Amino acid sequence: MLEGGKIDSKQAIFLLTTMVLATAILFVPAIIAHHAKQDAWISAILATLGGLVIARLQVTLGLRFPGMTLFQYLEVILGKVLGKAVGFLYLWWFFHMNAEVLREFGSFLVAAFMPDTPIIVFIIIIAIISAYAVRSGLEVFTRVNQIILPLILLSLLVLFALATKEMRIIRLLPLLDTGVVPIIKGAITPLSWFGEMATFLMIIPYLNKPQEAPRIANTAILISGTFFLITVLGVLAIFGPALSARWMFPTLNGARMIHLANFLERLEAVIMVIWVFGAFVKISVFYYAGVLGSAQVLGLKDFRPLVLLIGVIVVALSILLHPNILDLARMLGQVWPPYALSTFEVGLPLILLAISLIRGKGGQQQ
Amino acid sequence: MNELALALGAAVDRTPDGKFLLTLQFAKPGEFAAGAPEGGKGKVSAPVWVVSATGKTIFEAERNLAMQVSRHIYWGHLIVLIIGEKAARHGVREVVSLFLRSPQPRETMWVMVTEGEAKNLLMSQPGLEKSSAQAIGFLARSKAGYSVELKDFAAMLASKGGEPIASRLGSLKMVTTPSLGQKTPVEEVRITGVAAFKDDKLTGWLDPSETRGLLWLKGEVGKGVVTVPCPGKPEKQLSLEIIRATTKVIPEYRNNKVSFTVRLMLEGDLEEEQCDENLTKPETIKAIEKELRKDVKQKAELALSKAQGEFKADIFGFGEAFHRAHKREWRMLRDNWNEEFARAEVRISVKAYLRRTGLLTKPATLRE
Repeated sequence: MLEGGKIDSKQAIFLLTTMVLATAILFVPAIIAHHAKQDAWISAILATLGGLVIARLQVTLGLRFPGMTLFQYLEVILGKVLGKAVGFLYLWWFFHMNAEVLREFGSFLVAAFMPDTPIIVFIIIIAIISAYAVRSGLEVFTRVNQIILPLILLSLLVLFALATKEMRIIRLLPLLDTGVVPIIKGAITPLSWFGEMATFLMIIPYLNKPQEAPRIANTAILISGTFFLITVLGVLAIFGPALSARWMFPTLNGARMIHLANFLERLEAVIMVIWVFGAFVKISVFYYAGVLGSAQVLGLKDFRPLVLLIGVIVVALSILLHPNILDLARMLGQVWPPYALSTFEVGLPLILLAISLIRGKGGQQQ
Repeated sequence: MNELALALGAAVDRTPDGKFLLTLQFAKPGEFAAGAPEGGKGKVSAPVWVVSATGKTIFEAERNLAMQVSRHIYWGHLIVLIIGEKAARHGVREVVSLFLRSPQPRETMWVMVTEGEAKNLLMSQPGLEKSSAQAIGFLARSKAGYSVELKDFAAMLASKGGEPIASRLGSLKMVTTPSLGQKTPVEEVRITGVAAFKDDKLTGWLDPSETRGLLWLKGEVGKGVVTVPCPGKPEKQLSLEIIRATTKVIPEYRNNKVSFTVRLMLEGDLEEEQCDENLTKPETIKAIEKELRKDVKQKAELALSKAQGEFKADIFGFGEAFHRAHKREWRMLRDNWNEEFARAEVRISVKAYLRRTGLLTKPATLRE
């Protein structure tokens, strides 16, 4: 057994919620508002509902193979050679996704707070901390997250409450102005964020009650969907659709709007805190999935020696992926969602489930 | 603190040779902390420092300006952005974008436009506050006129359903009072109405009473004073404070014609009267309410005729209201909205209520 730890259902819900929400609140609202204008919040609801369906699919696949992670049953479903080949593709996806998150993490800090600092500084620092967390094992960063997530959610609620003074519900009207297609287009990006729930397939075997996996996935998606919806509604009601779509990080600007009684202002520091903690957890989860998966594909007995190696690959990748922040934004808004959804988040799990049903692999004991 | 130069106000002007002139007002923290220098105690030094520089872009002007500033310029405390008339007529889109793109300046700073050079206003020295930028900030927050934050200005620029407006700023020379230790004349900034834009270019000005009309039509009245002639005694006046005011804009689209019905409502308390009128009589109240209706309607129509006639620009955001009510028709009209707006029939109806008369019923000093 590569991982000896076990986490309970509540811890898993917390972990998955942070994983989805951490980057969604900052990068996604502007992308949705660009497509769906003032109906962006409908896109957010659609994406949450779609996320429930995707998670159902992924969890159904995972539960057919109790005690196994994705990489282990890939070989059961597809045979040894093909299974390993697809395993390497999944590994690439975890590395790539983690590199994108690292880049997002650094880009935000440089663009909004410290323009003179090279981006690699932030990326290396968070990568080292995450490497330490991953080396310590699943249980450790899961417990850290039990402290972090309530802080994130509470901060988001407080920011929203303080910003209500700047909000005008009238900015959300008229309803369904741009029609249904832009709303669906707007839903695709957040849907790909919910699709990151595929990482759950690496964690299901380490739940102390794996049979609760569907409930865990649903609860995590509903919590993150609710807070994501709150964020989108807040941003739209503060800035209106035109300006929301033009900001790089509308949630940051929303927090900057707060000024109460001439002393409670400049609350964007809270956004930075949410961002740093949330990104730490998110990066750790993907990092862990990549490291554990590598060890399983390569047939190692321990994943710890791989931590540093994979860290170096992912950090280098995060720098090489994009020449500038606009390229990153284009990737996240246009390329990543259809790519990730059609392959690793929905496409492949669907094919794997179909093949395992046809070939009669995997048990029904649940 | 000792390495930063805190900018309080920024002014953007255009030079005759087509360059930008950027003026910044910096706080001198030492002078700020020391309090107002007392008369005759020797050292009298202004608590602010004003510097200007030119450049082909505003950012270039800022770099040129930085060569005269010994410290690192910090934009995070900027209170106001003042745009000079020439720069405003030339177009403000790039000015607004610059201040939003950069992470340091706040989106909540005030945007104002002045006739003539904006630089002069930053040079002026107010009597009560330590710097003119602060004075402008407090004036804007007190809602004397129509105050616009940078993000609201940007939202108006980005919207097709309404043209941007900003506060109009002027200055006033006050007399010196040597007995109070004043040596130089105090120059006060004041809000003198509203600057109206068409797209991103300044198109004209509204004076204070047209501004009242604009506030009514935009639904931003909040509080304020209405002064009307006494019923039956046109040479005497009475003043009411507005306690509550609402504006309802109802857009209609019939036979390919856009029209608006605007319903205004105000509730006011009587503050001052010169009429010696017995207010306990219901018909007196009715008569005063009639005068109120007349006054509000007249001001609103004043602003309306200027916007429809002179500017041909929808400075009230009626387009947004139309968009919300008729989203399909809006798609056809939005690209020439200003022409549609100028043609639109606008019916204004006012309801006015005099609710309270303070602690008196009749003038206390009246002999019966």
